[in-house]
Formats: sequence, structure tokens, C-alpha cells
Amino acid sequence: MTTPGEVLLKVDDLTVEFDTPHGPVRAVDGVSWQVRAGETLAILGESGSGKSVSTQALTGILEMPPGRIVSGTAEYRGADLIAMTVKERRKIVGDRITMVFQDSLSALNPVQSVGTQIAECYRVHRGLSKKDALKRAAEMLDQVRIPAAARRVRDYPHEFSGGMRQRVMLAMALALDPDVLIADEPTTALDVTVQAQILELIADLQAERDMGVVLITHDLGVVSDVADNVVVMYAGHVVERASTAEALDHPVHPYTEGLLGSMPSADLKGQELPTIPGTPPSLRAIPSGCAFRTRCPMAIDECAKEVPPLLTVAPGRDAACILRTSISEREAV
Amino acid sequence: MIRFILRRILAAIPIGLIVTLGVFALVFAMPGDPLRELAGDKPIPAAVLAAKRAQYHLDDPFIVQYLLSMKDMFTGHFGTTFAGADIADQLRLRIPVTLKLATLGLVFQWIAGLLFGLYAGFKRNGVMDRLLLLATLVVLAVPGLVLYFTGQYLFGVELKWLPVSGTRDGWPMSYLLPAICIGITGFAGLARLTRTSIVDTANSDFVKTARAKGLGEQRILWRHVLPNALLPVVTLMGIDFAGIFAGAVLAESIFNLPGLGQFMFQAIKLKEGGVVVLLSTLAFLMFILINLAVDVIYGAIDPRVRNV
Repeated sequence: MTTPGEVLLKVDDLTVEFDTPHGPVRAVDGVSWQVRAGETLAILGESGSGKSVSTQALTGILEMPPGRIVSGTAEYRGADLIAMTVKERRKIVGDRITMVFQDSLSALNPVQSVGTQIAECYRVHRGLSKKDALKRAAEMLDQVRIPAAARRVRDYPHEFSGGMRQRVMLAMALALDPDVLIADEPTTALDVTVQAQILELIADLQAERDMGVVLITHDLGVVSDVADNVVVMYAGHVVERASTAEALDHPVHPYTEGLLGSMPSADLKGQELPTIPGTPPSLRAIPSGCAFRTRCPMAIDECAKEVPPLLTVAPGRDAACILRTSISEREAV
Repeated sequence: MIRFILRRILAAIPIGLIVTLGVFALVFAMPGDPLRELAGDKPIPAAVLAAKRAQYHLDDPFIVQYLLSMKDMFTGHFGTTFAGADIADQLRLRIPVTLKLATLGLVFQWIAGLLFGLYAGFKRNGVMDRLLLLATLVVLAVPGLVLYFTGQYLFGVELKWLPVSGTRDGWPMSYLLPAICIGITGFAGLARLTRTSIVDTANSDFVKTARAKGLGEQRILWRHVLPNALLPVVTLMGIDFAGIFAGAVLAESIFNLPGLGQFMFQAIKLKEGGVVVLLSTLAFLMFILINLAVDVIYGAIDPRVRNV
């Protein structure tokens, strides 16, 4: 289905606002990223940084209103998802681009058997008969390594454990062999051991199918384990974009640096874990200029003047910090 | 399933005892002498009074009276009312009246509640939704009694569209006005619950999942939103159904329909403990049966409560 290295999903300058009684609030501001076949792209950020909103906006599942896409494109193989009609988009979202969510208990319909829910994909997108669709659903459950899949296909979501339910979600998302999987905090609600199993499962299935994975997470550990590239978001902006190894070894943006510094590690045993001072800003009152400057240890007066542009500091490395990018001022693409 | 039903019926027995005992005690505690009340201002010879008192066990201690009337009820010897009417005959005449009224009232109530609730839920924040909110607020704020009398006056006395009272015009004409009144007083709660439940469900995560699966809005609505949104609605419909008897007491008294509710009303006025307990037991049995039915239906539509 995909050729290796092909750009599958390309998001460009995406801006999303929410209408609130106190005026519009900008949750995502000029975000750009892309994911290639076989690549895992992590979108890293705290809650409220706009990481989920950006993917929900481009797949059209964001409630609009109050949400509103102000600008930007999201091209799946050259076709802009944002510009197309709902009907056209439904042929891609749910078929070629699929999603899994964080809380598998509330993300599955409680009164439908998991088999019916997986089979629905085949019935709606492939027009399969009920019987064939259910058979395929059972095969899918087997592929995500649920024991006794043929029997469990009739069970309901509440009869599965958290980890098994997330496997069901995965089976549903991968049922139609999609090109891009958007996984929105897929392991956040799970135990650490189960987390690792699920991530491993995603990686295995990705390798089999050569699909692109967009992994939304707030967990640097998850990023370092599975991501090829990482996009760091803060208060709706992309502040750093790099390959995972580069970002973890030599972070450019002070925010990424702060995140890395606050990771528990063996070296820091017995010491107090450093934290980034302060809290993320409310989207209603984002500081002028660089949104991170109020928490940044190296902020200078210049930082308050204008929003730092995302600039390329090295090949494949972009950052939005006037202190760190002034060396080479080539605008990032 | 059968074990579940049996368990529920067994559990109903002690509750039934408590309910009947409580109702009997309340009637017993009411002030006034039933026989004197029946006679009005006319003097009654002491001998007649004593004979009547003995016939209805009125001089026995409370618990003996209770047990005697329970015995009568279970052996099917309903006896006669203080006024001399055969209670079994009365039941035969009155049960159909109440059933007709309750069914019609329930149909109005459910149809109006579901229709308005569903529509407002689908088109939330639309004109209909806001009108419904206003209408339900008015209905919930106006006491049923006021509404019954207003309806009777407006459509019966002034406009003469429907009979004012009695059953002379037969089914369904005589029942329409009281049934509509029952429907109006009862639909508001159902409509609001249905609306809220749909709105809540439409915002839930699994609906987001359904969207992410690329399903059409109609499919999402019928396959994912409604089956979940209607769960609490079914519960309320059951409670409404079971509570319809209470509405019937009021409606039958005001519209002078010779049903069980009116019978109950008269029996309470006359302090006829036996009749009150008999009718309460009937209502209680209905309540248990309806609740059982709701539980069985609920198990069928919600897999999470099966086998409990």
C-alpha cells in the first residue's frame, strides 16, 4: 500500500481556535509536521499544549463549533483533509487514517460487543456481510494477540482488562490496514508493564504494514522508546522538531531541556528531581512573545517582543528560541 | 434469568408485608370513627352499631385487625364495604376503568416525553429545544391539581370539546381529557431526561471513536448514541408506569371516573382499612411486576448489568 519513506500525512501551518464566552482562544498555532511510511512521529507536550486538538481537528472529529480551524492544510497523499467535504473525508478518516484513544473503557461503546464494533469498520468501509465482517474481526483480535479471540469476539468492553481493551481499540483501528495510525496517549491509562506490551505491539504491527504512526504523548520515556522523530509542543506552538536521538541528546529549546532534566534517572538517585518552575500558561493568557519565557531560566527582555519563529538550526532540526537559533537563520519548512 | 426473577419475587415478600402493615397502621391512626362518618348526622341504634363493629372487627386490637384483613385478602374473601357493596364486584367493575385511563395516560406521557426529548436532544440549542425547556419548566412548576381543574374547566366546561366528567361517553371520549392531563403532568420529566441523556451521550468518548471510524452521522446516532442514551430513559419509564396509579387517584376523583383510584379515595375518607390495604397491595404487586419487567428489559439492552 505504501512505498517506503513516502510522506503520508503532511500538516502545514495548522491553527485551531475555540470560541469561548470570553472570546476566541487559540489552542493550536501554526503547527506543521509530517509523517512518512514506516515512521513513528511523537508529538510531545503537556496537557493543554494542543497536541490532541491538532490531530482531532485535521481528522474532523473535533466538535466544531466551539472549535474552528483558522488556517492550515493537512494533506493525506496530496489531498487536503481540511478542505474536503465531510463525505470525502469519511472515506479517508476511519479507513486510511485511523485513531486510538487514551481511555479504552470510555472509548468503546459499552452496549456493543467488541466483535460488532470491529466488524462495523468492514461493514461500513468494505461492505462486507455481517458474518464475514465478524470473522475478520475475530482474526483482527487474534492479530493483536488476544487469547481465545474467536470466543472473545462476542464479549463486551467491560469484560476485558485495561490492556486487553486497548488491544481491542488497536484491532479496530488496524482492521482496514490503514496507512497512518494516530495514537492519542494510547498507554497513559495503563500499568507500566502493560504499557510496554502495547507499545511493542504497535511497533510490531507497524513494521508488518509499513504504516506511519503519530504518537501523541506527554511521556518522554515513551518517546525515547519508540519514536523516530519528535515534535515538542508548548502552549499551542511547536517549539522543537528533531529526530528523537538528537532531541534527547542535544535539546535545543530550553523547554525540551527542562523536560529532559526532570526525567528520573539512575544518575540522579538520592537527589531531588529537578522540575520546570511554574505551570503551563492558560491559553486565555499566553505571555507575549515566547510563551515559555515566564518559566525559562535564560529568558531575556527580547523574548517578550515577538513570537520566536521556528528556525532550522541544523539539517532536520528546528527550534523556536531566539537565543538558540540566532546562529543560523534559515526559516524552517 | 429464572433464578434472578425468583430471587426478586422472594425479596418482594418482606417488602410487601412492611408496606401493607404500614398502610394499615396509617389508616388505623386516622382520627374519627368510620361508621359514624358513614351514617352522617343520623343517629344509629347502639345495637346496630355494635353489630357492625363486630362484623368489621373494629374493636379488635390493631394487629388482629391487620391479620384478619390479610387472611381475607389471601383467601379471596374480600367481603363488603362499610356501605354494603361487594368488594369483589367493585374490583371487577373498577379495574377496567383504571386500566383504560392509565394506559391512555401513559401512552400520552411516553409519546410526548420521548418525542420532545429525542427531538430536543438531536437539535440541541435549537428553537424547539428552548421551547421545550420553557414548557417543561411550566409543567413542572404548576401543581397537577391546578392543571387538572384548568383542563376540566377549559376543555369541558367552556369549550365543551370533551366530557366534563363521568364515563357516560364511553371509551375513549370520557378518558381523553383526564389521560391528557396525566400525560402533561408526567411528560416533562421524561422529556428532559431523554434530552439530557442524548446530549451527554453525544459528547462521550465512544461517539468520538465512532466519528474516527468514519461512520455517518445517522449510523452514529442510531447505533451508538441512542442505545446508550435510552438506558436511563427506560428506568424512568418504568418508574412512571408504576407511579401511574398515584396519578389515577387524583384524575379519577376530579373527573369522577369510577376506577380504583376513586375507590381508594373513598375508602381512605371512610377509614376502611381493609379496602385501603387491598388496593395498596394491588398497587404494590403492580409495582413489583413492572420493576421486574424493567430489570429484565434492562438486562437485555445493557450487557453490563446481565447476570447480577
